[in-house]
Amino acid sequence: MIEKQSIPIIQLQKVDKFFGEFQALKNVNLEVRQGQKVVVCGPSGSGKSTMLHCINRLEKHDRGRVVVAGIELNDSLKNIDAVRSEIGMVFQQFNLFPHLKVVENLMLAPKLVRKATKTEARKIAMTYLDRVHIPEQAEKYPIQLSGGQQQRVAIARALCMNPQVMLFDEPTSALDPEMIAEVLDVMVELAKEGMTMICVTHEMGFARSVADLMVFMDEGEVVESAVPDDFFAHPESERTKLFLSQILSH
Amino acid sequence: MYVVVGWLDEFLWGALVVLQIFMVGLTMTVILGLLGAAAKLSNIPVLRILATAYTTVFRAVPELLVLLIIYFGSAITLTAIAKLINPEIKFVDIPPFWAGSFAISLIIGAYATETFRGAFQGVDPGQIKAARSLGMSATHTFFYVRLPQMWRLALPGFGNHMLSMMKDTALISVIGVEEILYTAEIATSVTMQPFTMYMVVAIIYLIFTTVIMAIVRMLERMANRHLESV
Amino acid sequence: MEFDFALIFESVPKMATGIGLTLQLLVLASIIGTTLAVCTALMRISKIPLLSWPAIVYIYIFRGTPMLVQIFLIYYGLAQFQAVRDSFMWIALRDPFWCAIIAFSLNVGAYTAEILRGGIQGVDAGLLRAATALGLSKSQRFIHITTPIAIRLALPAFGNETVSLMKSTALASTITMFDITGVARTIMAQTFAPYEIFLSAAIVYLFIAWFIQFGVALAERRYSRHMQR
Repeated sequence: MIEKQSIPIIQLQKVDKFFGEFQALKNVNLEVRQGQKVVVCGPSGSGKSTMLHCINRLEKHDRGRVVVAGIELNDSLKNIDAVRSEIGMVFQQFNLFPHLKVVENLMLAPKLVRKATKTEARKIAMTYLDRVHIPEQAEKYPIQLSGGQQQRVAIARALCMNPQVMLFDEPTSALDPEMIAEVLDVMVELAKEGMTMICVTHEMGFARSVADLMVFMDEGEVVESAVPDDFFAHPESERTKLFLSQILSH
Repeated sequence: MYVVVGWLDEFLWGALVVLQIFMVGLTMTVILGLLGAAAKLSNIPVLRILATAYTTVFRAVPELLVLLIIYFGSAITLTAIAKLINPEIKFVDIPPFWAGSFAISLIIGAYATETFRGAFQGVDPGQIKAARSLGMSATHTFFYVRLPQMWRLALPGFGNHMLSMMKDTALISVIGVEEILYTAEIATSVTMQPFTMYMVVAIIYLIFTTVIMAIVRMLERMANRHLESV
Repeated sequence: MEFDFALIFESVPKMATGIGLTLQLLVLASIIGTTLAVCTALMRISKIPLLSWPAIVYIYIFRGTPMLVQIFLIYYGLAQFQAVRDSFMWIALRDPFWCAIIAFSLNVGAYTAEILRGGIQGVDAGLLRAATALGLSKSQRFIHITTPIAIRLALPAFGNETVSLMKSTALASTITMFDITGVARTIMAQTFAPYEIFLSAAIVYLFIAWFIQFGVALAERRYSRHMQR
């Protein structure tokens, strides 16, 4: 009987990615098991976002393999769509659809991709809106909500597709300080419920409490990866030490 | 002044023809504009070059000239083709209504191509990323995310194009379509009151353009509804 | 169906006169129209209703009706009134050239006034506040701050409007004038060769339009000098 925990749900093997001449990802290897919470940190331009984008094919990797839930990502459209519906993504800029109400934002993908009926979609939407604690905002337009509320809607929108993995690309970096907590709280709850998560973030407090694995990236490479206790207490590489000293000094 | 009353139904009939030309033109312009914008934004260089040639030429050549080329040119070409099939045929032409509507659509379509292109490029790419990451197909993304937002950006420019098109319909009288200006010319030759008659034409057009402006303003308000933060 | 190049060659001299007339109409209407536009724009933005309302009505009428109708009204329409025919203005109003100039200038005036208004209102309010704080008077602010910036903002639209005027000059052919289009229509009526003649005319217009855009681009560069690093 194969342990569900031990099969990696996401595998990146020797992944390279180029933007023209510039190499954004160099020989990136990563394995994420079901239920694992991975936090990716590093200076800007280190390739963290690019790596996330390669996992759901928002960017095409040039060399290596990307395998999600047993499906290998290549040019086959069927594979790409199949992978995308298993992965939820939350963006730094929220990217809510401004012309749709909050509840409509959540209902759109289930209706179009999962072919849910209007009633079913609405039920799913309200369930997740409840989960992120803002059911009363359902009929409003995104612009009427605060940044923290918008990001929570974005999380709910991704959850409506019932993904196996949630990718977070610096979810709190565009938020005013007083709203960061409400979003992190939702992410912590999600983690506790067993969701597999890969988070690119600078929030080290969150990382320490939630992460199973810390990954440090710099200049397109995975420099170091370790469990949080080891990562924060005994970083091995000089670059990691430098980064940690800068980010933890305030 | 009262002589106008006698011509009222001719003018109303002509106004109806103007509306018909406008509606046909509107439809063709939207299609041409979308096709043109797609060509300009496509990855295929040939399409991009063709689209650029289209917009450059049709925005620089006088409307009257385009109208004349299309009307007379099509007559010559069609007659030549028809003669190949049946030598007995003397003359074939496209009804001036359709030649005129098509000519106007080609011209305004060139302007619309630029407006639509700018509008498509103005849509926040983050929206597209979000839609694709939710698993939405390219087609779904286009119709449910891209198009609604592009439309809001295109509206002011497109509204101006519609005003231009309404005024360009007057040119079709030159190739003999019996709309209001043509009616006014006939009425003038009968009544010898050119000022009165052309004033009627001017007033009818003023009404049409005012209505179009009001509709565009209303559409703009509707399209931007979701942006008013309460 | 062949393309009769010989016809084009023969028509060149006639075309040349046509081009001359087109350019005359273009330049004259442009100058008169722009002058008119400046006055109208100033009236339009004025806070005094007696000044702004006539401007608003004028702009509304001339932007809301077709150019062709405006030309017909002036050339054919005004002749209806005995008073006009008896007046001293009749010499001008009888001549299709001056009727065309009047119609084009009024049209350019209305459109350009709106363009100028857009440019004036596009000037960053912050700049004017700074100028006030420095002690500049209202007219000083308008002349030294608003005007240069407004011109730069208005240039692209002004370029488009000038190309538009060029296209409108073709309508002079409908009131018996022999501009490029007028000449082309005459030749066409004699030879019934629409493609050769009209396409040649189109190419000439393309050249003039290119020329106008080139001039505007030069002007834009001059007025944006301060913005280039």
